[in-house]
Amino acid sequence: MSRAEAGPASLYHRAVVYLLFAILVLPLLGTFVYSIASSWSATILPAGFTLKWYVQLWSDPRFLMAFGQSLLVCVGALVLSVVLILPLLFVVHYHFPRLDALMNILILLPFAVPPVVSSVGLLQLYGSGPLAMVGTPWILIGCYFTVALPFMYRAITNNLQAINLRDLMDASQLLGASTWQAAILVVLPNLRKGLMVALLLSFSFLFGEFVFANILVGTQYETLQVYLNNMRNSSGHFTSAIVISYFFFVLVLTWAANILNKDKSQ
Amino acid sequence: MSFVSVQHLQKGYSGTPVFSDISCDIAKGEFVTLLGPSGCGKSTLLRCIAGLTSVDSGKILLDGQDIVPLSPQKRHIGMVFQSYALFPNMTVEQNVAFGLRMQKVNADDSHRRVQDVLQLVELRDFAGRYPHQLSGGQCQRVALARSLVTRPRLLLLDEPLSALDARIRKHLREQIRQIQRELGLTTIFVTHDQEEALTMSDRIFLMNQGRIVQSGDAETLYTAPVDAFAAGFIGNYNLLDAGKASQLLQRPIHGRIAIRPEAIELSRSGELDALVRSHSLLGNVIRYRIEARGVELVVDVLNRSAHDLYPDGQRLALSIDPAALCEVA
Repeated sequence: MSRAEAGPASLYHRAVVYLLFAILVLPLLGTFVYSIASSWSATILPAGFTLKWYVQLWSDPRFLMAFGQSLLVCVGALVLSVVLILPLLFVVHYHFPRLDALMNILILLPFAVPPVVSSVGLLQLYGSGPLAMVGTPWILIGCYFTVALPFMYRAITNNLQAINLRDLMDASQLLGASTWQAAILVVLPNLRKGLMVALLLSFSFLFGEFVFANILVGTQYETLQVYLNNMRNSSGHFTSAIVISYFFFVLVLTWAANILNKDKSQ
Repeated sequence: MSFVSVQHLQKGYSGTPVFSDISCDIAKGEFVTLLGPSGCGKSTLLRCIAGLTSVDSGKILLDGQDIVPLSPQKRHIGMVFQSYALFPNMTVEQNVAFGLRMQKVNADDSHRRVQDVLQLVELRDFAGRYPHQLSGGQCQRVALARSLVTRPRLLLLDEPLSALDARIRKHLREQIRQIQRELGLTTIFVTHDQEEALTMSDRIFLMNQGRIVQSGDAETLYTAPVDAFAAGFIGNYNLLDAGKASQLLQRPIHGRIAIRPEAIELSRSGELDALVRSHSLLGNVIRYRIEARGVELVVDVLNRSAHDLYPDGQRLALSIDPAALCEVA
């Protein structure tokens, strides 16, 4: 029997865990029940259960379009992040480790400026002129790239520090590998976990992002959260179905990523 | 003719020299150790030889060829790191085969060579394991196998035993030395542990502040230190300035002298002018702190039996073999 299981303290520990779990799950459970309730207003329990809100939602072309557009923008931003940040991190940590301190300040900038303020700035910059991108997915991809930057940078940096990049690179080069071979055959496979964590964190955050999407593109390129906002005056059961669908999608994605991320050596 | 020749090598960072004008020669098949305290430049020198750190000026000749302009890949040098630097995503077999894969050795030949080298380090049964499934000692043996399988011209060992516990360290240093002798491989070993250096090396280069202060075999370094640093770093020499030395030996001494702790004899008979201040048991040796004629000395005595143990406060006679007195700069 482990120490955690023994003694009266364990009851308290379990109670705290279950309470926390309940606090997190209850609103979700309520939303889910509401999304499958045919009608639930003046009674304690729903009048009946139905899947019609889900059928209605998943057959709405506007929802499918918003879902697809959200996916496209998030995936685009993350691909851009990986393509730019991974080599940058490699160069910083292998060749210029002193730059890490500067990078740590830079990656905090997206947090330092509130989204409402920075989106006003972006509207000014990209609203007209040669770089007029407001209302197009491109501005969201660029903007989301900066939002994802701290998540990506921190998670991959932690991973890089854990694998002792310098020694691995040195060892592979002494064994005859070029810098590219060492990076692709040795470093990259060992960054898989950090990269996956960074991508999942960023994706979950970006998929639910509303402020930038609403101000910079609005209905011209409707994303899932903007769609949800625009549907706020329709049935509460319908919007609950949107929320649960969104949650379920992120859950399945996380689960799939975890399965893929399982270390074959474990 | 020497197999490795380091000639007037200089290296510095931002104007601060790590070492300047270092020169040394190593014969083929020799096992040499770069010994010195942290920050003395020994690891940087090793990395310069490997090609992992650039040099400011000077030459490194390997088998007559200047390897300074060559990249690490083209130097054909094997290296074992303190951190093992095993690739976590690869099994033991894949780790060891990595160098052969880079050399595009065919699969059959590669498999045979990997098995042979794993046999050499006694890890054939662990071929399918991942590094995190191995102990520190096993990891270091895999790292050794990985650096040997490509048949390097020179093997560099950068404090490979520092992260291991004492028992495994002792076993592994014997194993490394045995393999090195079997293969006749020229090896440069870096350590700050004098015991490791003394037991393993054909020759030792003692380094301090970016200079080689003394080189020679273990016996020479141990019995004839050239200066106070060497005397302090190798062994536990008693270092006495001229005044203290004259006071102890009761004759005029004009320079600084070093006396090995085991070269001083203690006995219960004779002129009892030494006093035991304290003692500590180091296993087969008892280390006494003695005060004799106003001078504090460390004396090592073989721990033969409990009967020989001198208690603190005991008055004893002290004698020093004149041949064991070393004059140091």
